[in-house]
Amino acid sequence: MHIPDGYLTPYVFIPAFIITIIFWAIYLKKVKLTEKQVPIMGLLTALFFAAMMMNWPVVGGTTAHLLGGASMGLILGPFAGGISVTIILVLQAFLFGDGGLTTLGANVLNMGIIGVLVPCAIFLVLNKLVGAKGNKLYAVIFVSAFAGDLLAAVAAGTELGLSQPVFQYGLNVAIPAMALNHSIIGVGEGIITMILVGTLLKLRPDVLQQSPILKRLSFFQNKEDAKDGDEKVGPNIY
Amino acid sequence: MEMKKLAQISTKKTILIVLTLAMIFVLVGVFVLSFSFETLDKQAGKLGSEEKPVYKAPFADYNVPGLDNTWGALIVGVGGTLLLLIMGLIVAKIVRRKKS
Repeated sequence: MHIPDGYLTPYVFIPAFIITIIFWAIYLKKVKLTEKQVPIMGLLTALFFAAMMMNWPVVGGTTAHLLGGASMGLILGPFAGGISVTIILVLQAFLFGDGGLTTLGANVLNMGIIGVLVPCAIFLVLNKLVGAKGNKLYAVIFVSAFAGDLLAAVAAGTELGLSQPVFQYGLNVAIPAMALNHSIIGVGEGIITMILVGTLLKLRPDVLQQSPILKRLSFFQNKEDAKDGDEKVGPNIY
Repeated sequence: MEMKKLAQISTKKTILIVLTLAMIFVLVGVFVLSFSFETLDKQAGKLGSEEKPVYKAPFADYNVPGLDNTWGALIVGVGGTLLLLIMGLIVAKIVRRKKS
């Protein structure tokens, strides 16, 4: 989903950069991390860089890769998660030529803003509506991650479709093409996010308890005395 | 709601497990799922559109100049993962220090 240089017109990549800079400022102003989240942020940044190296076959002889935005957003919170994805995208662009420099703002907008904030927002809404717990929790995580990937792809398709004549297909081709192919990897993203959050719930609930998103789950809400650095609690998610 | 167990594994074990998983991802990415043909590249290719890089990345396409593609990708994958770990930790520490 990394858009290279030359695919977007300045009418598209400049506004994308401006929106991204606004969000970077918000991320940096709002981000908060506990001591326990510090190593987890480093680990997730490294893990999803590695995960992006795997190109999964989708349809029509094309491939797609995981974004990691949902996992990082849910586990670290939207702001720290967005910063983590941004670090990956910046290094990929500068060191590996994966994604362009003129299109860096658009790539961060798609994967580091939409790909992170959408899953967090959907998770919060669904958690409030259905009270995510047990199997429902995993369904909510899956839907949130899937929607994040799908909307990130739709955003990339929109940017490409608006970049005529450079990308001559237009919105009616670019959006469905990106959405269809990335909805398949969205299923993978949903599964990976469920596994990752589920594993952390079992092995490191103390870390998830400090996530600005996951701490709103009812089984964490019931342990109000859990404070930064407290390792002595864990959830019974059922 | 019953609250039962504490953290099951230490931070050191967490680091070891996640880094091992990351290295497995790199190996799979280099040796199994290395073929990359992204949707937008395919659509652009149909029209004859091309990338117009404004900057030459030192390890473009995850390769090390002068090295075989597979070995280059492996070195870049392992090195990149460790670099991202360090970068993520540095940024996280800065954020933590500024906000605490």
